Amino acid sequence: MVSASAYVPAIVLLPFVSFIVALFGRENLPKRGAYGGIAATAGSLLLSLWVLVSVRNGAAFQETYYTWATGAGAQDWTLTFGALIDPLSVLMLVIVSLVAMLVHIFSLGYMNDEDERDLPRYYAGLGLFTASMLGFVIADNLLMAFMFFELVGLCSYLLIGFHFREPGPPSAAKKAFLVTRFGDYFFLVGVVAVFTTFGTAAFAGAESFPALAEAALNGEATVWTPGGLEVSTWFTIVGLLILGGVIGKSAQFPLHTWLPDAMEGPTPVSALIHAATMVAAGVYLVARMYGFYVLSPTTMAIIAFVGGFTALFAATMGVVKRELKQVLAYSTISQYGYMMLALGSGGYVAAVFHLTTHAFFKALLFLGAGSVIIAMHHNEDMWDMGGLKDKLPVTYWTFLAGSLALAGIFPFAGFWSKDEILYEALIHGLDEPLILGAYVMGLLAVPVTAFYTFRMVFLTFHGEPRSSLARDPHPVRWNVKGPLSVLGILAVVTGGINLVPVQKVLNIEGIDYLHLWLDNHWGGIEGLSSHHYAELDPYSSQYLFGGEVPTVLAGAAASLGLAIGGLALAWVLYNVADPDEHTDKLGGLKELLYNNYYQDEFQVWVADNTQSVAGGADTFDQGVIDGVVNGVSSVSLLSSERIRRIQSGVVSNYALLLTLGLTTLLVVFGLIGGWF
Amino acid sequence: MVPPEYYLVLSAAIFCIGLFGILTRRNALYFLMSAELMLNAAVINLVAFSFQWGNLTGQTFALFVIALAAAEVAVGIGIVLVLYRNFGDVDVLNAATMRW
Amino acid sequence: MTDTDGSDRASAALAVTALFAVLATMALGAAEAFPDPTGFPADVSIVHNIGYALFDIGLGEIPVEGFLAAFLIIALALDVALDAAIYLAKREDEGSIVSALTDGGREVVAGDVAEREPTDEGGDR
Repeated sequence: MVSASAYVPAIVLLPFVSFIVALFGRENLPKRGAYGGIAATAGSLLLSLWVLVSVRNGAAFQETYYTWATGAGAQDWTLTFGALIDPLSVLMLVIVSLVAMLVHIFSLGYMNDEDERDLPRYYAGLGLFTASMLGFVIADNLLMAFMFFELVGLCSYLLIGFHFREPGPPSAAKKAFLVTRFGDYFFLVGVVAVFTTFGTAAFAGAESFPALAEAALNGEATVWTPGGLEVSTWFTIVGLLILGGVIGKSAQFPLHTWLPDAMEGPTPVSALIHAATMVAAGVYLVARMYGFYVLSPTTMAIIAFVGGFTALFAATMGVVKRELKQVLAYSTISQYGYMMLALGSGGYVAAVFHLTTHAFFKALLFLGAGSVIIAMHHNEDMWDMGGLKDKLPVTYWTFLAGSLALAGIFPFAGFWSKDEILYEALIHGLDEPLILGAYVMGLLAVPVTAFYTFRMVFLTFHGEPRSSLARDPHPVRWNVKGPLSVLGILAVVTGGINLVPVQKVLNIEGIDYLHLWLDNHWGGIEGLSSHHYAELDPYSSQYLFGGEVPTVLAGAAASLGLAIGGLALAWVLYNVADPDEHTDKLGGLKELLYNNYYQDEFQVWVADNTQSVAGGADTFDQGVIDGVVNGVSSVSLLSSERIRRIQSGVVSNYALLLTLGLTTLLVVFGLIGGWF
Repeated sequence: MVPPEYYLVLSAAIFCIGLFGILTRRNALYFLMSAELMLNAAVINLVAFSFQWGNLTGQTFALFVIALAAAEVAVGIGIVLVLYRNFGDVDVLNAATMRW
Repeated sequence: MTDTDGSDRASAALAVTALFAVLATMALGAAEAFPDPTGFPADVSIVHNIGYALFDIGLGEIPVEGFLAAFLIIALALDVALDAAIYLAKREDEGSIVSALTDGGREVVAGDVAEREPTDEGGDR
């Protein structure tokens, strides 16, 4: 039997081929590129599943495919492309290719059936987007990850700005590009810092930078630090630099402002960005190099605090939004905040778990929103909807499943993962004030999440129709219902892959599959197991009420109780025939929330006030840099003006010069060789 | 037997005479003649060393150089004709219009 | 007009003398290093030997077969040189080929070429 590992590059290349085909095939393709994209992503999905099975049988591996630069002398770095296939990356491969395939199918309904223009460009973008994300997932070193990270950013720019003839999307695309690029700038500096410090950027193996960093902290290895800085301090700085890219891509405070605007892109693209690709890339990167982050308690605490803060902060903004997709956008920011909180508080498995469940239920919610938008003829205002429950039953029930998962209601997928995150943050945070603060914010975000989620559900589907569009919605076809059903089932059952609370309370061994999976229970790569990370992380576990089981139960009860509280409030306020805009009662606070705490205005203000810095840089560039370049050129111009006089055009002069040259050469050789 | 260094000195002298002609003359035909002198200086060397080592390659090469000289004169005369057509003269110093 | 003026001539003379001095010094300096000349057998004619080799008459005493290719190439080179000389000497004027045997390509009908502005043409027509 052929080994699955040989086909890993094909997972990335298939969507890339669909990109090329869509790019050059233009309008001649069947369904204008959709079938090619579906076939390619389906192929990727099948290959990913095959690799998943082979990793399950212990075939995790790391392989270098191509070395594209080799250093010389003391700086003997090699820059390579390779694949790192371990439980984490293969899980992510399956998620990405599955969501990408469903998004492609959904696009048939959302784009093709609506007769959008320029569809080959759309499918080319989707293909490249998927390919970049898959390439990012399999990357075995930081530099390769960075390259694909940038490609992902580029593709999001192309797709968010798909409707470039309207005023909104191009501006949103530029904003997404620039804001994430601001974070990526730090990431790039971080990559260079990793190279100079460790001389390698590999993720796995004894020579990888997390392993070297660990050895350096134990005093078993020496690494370069600038100005003789303390090793641990320098590692914190490097970790924070790379974290800059993560914060930009995963839309964490304060670089989250691009994400709500990114809703200007077509809805399937939003689903892809939020569930599986762009935004997930940041969290995935932290998980990928988690062995490095756990070494620095400061970085961990910052990650956790930023995550917890973002979770609460974004959730409050989601409460007042009028548009369906805006609510979902803020919920995405908030949910990625949870993942960061989990990573920062040592809950590696919990973060990956939430990444998985969130990928499914958020893709479901976005596709469901897309279905509603089709039905509503592209009106997204929830106050114009209402009563869609009976008109769109498939959409309603799947959307409800996704909402229950998002709100964290037992036993839907989101409950298990969110509960585990909060549990990890709680037991690790009892003697760490920052983590505890982050935990409290995460816990406070739970009822808010439940509230805005069900406000959205009730406004959209319940009550009386509030506009003629809602009274007579446009029907949707199988290509919308199919992906929704698949994701709906996944949103309900994905929690089953990691029933840790059940295991702890009922004492059943072996049903925490994800824990075992990420702990290299079925084989993996040395040094990349959650067990290894748990040994390294700076936290110790503390339990409330005298034991593990009561803590589990108390934590779950708290989060579930708060979630149900939020749900109930939404029920009372909005599950009526003709709901009022209760958020108006918030007064000035609503304005504040509706305008996103004036974050956008703040960033514009910052940009305006840093123009003088840019002006200074411009002066420096024009004066010094260009001055040097111009100086060099004028020196060579001047000297050539003089030296060209030698070229008199007179043969005799040339011959004379030749003679003198020959004589000189002979004399020199003679003196060296001792001919005289 | 004449020792080889005398051939070498003779060859150097003829070469330098030819070179001096090239450096000082302005008529293209004198140029050709001077170049011929320089070639023959090389031929003297070739023949001298052929004799010195008892190896026929040098003599064959001398023949080759003579043929080369004939070819060179053929091309050179062609160039002189073109020079004359374009500048109305065979003064090599006039043909300096292609410099910078 | 055939000679350069004084200063150029002096520098040329200087350069040539210097070159000669270097060459001569080297030749005389190497005088000790040469063994006695080997030479060729006095009673054998090399030219005759080449002739025998050309016609494959087995009378030769000196091995010269290896040079036959060189002689043939010399013959070819001379032929090409002759053709090139004739080609270059010909002159195309308004489409008709003026014979190489005119007076150096001087246009007899249109008057003396030398009287025209020397640089009015971009090159050979």
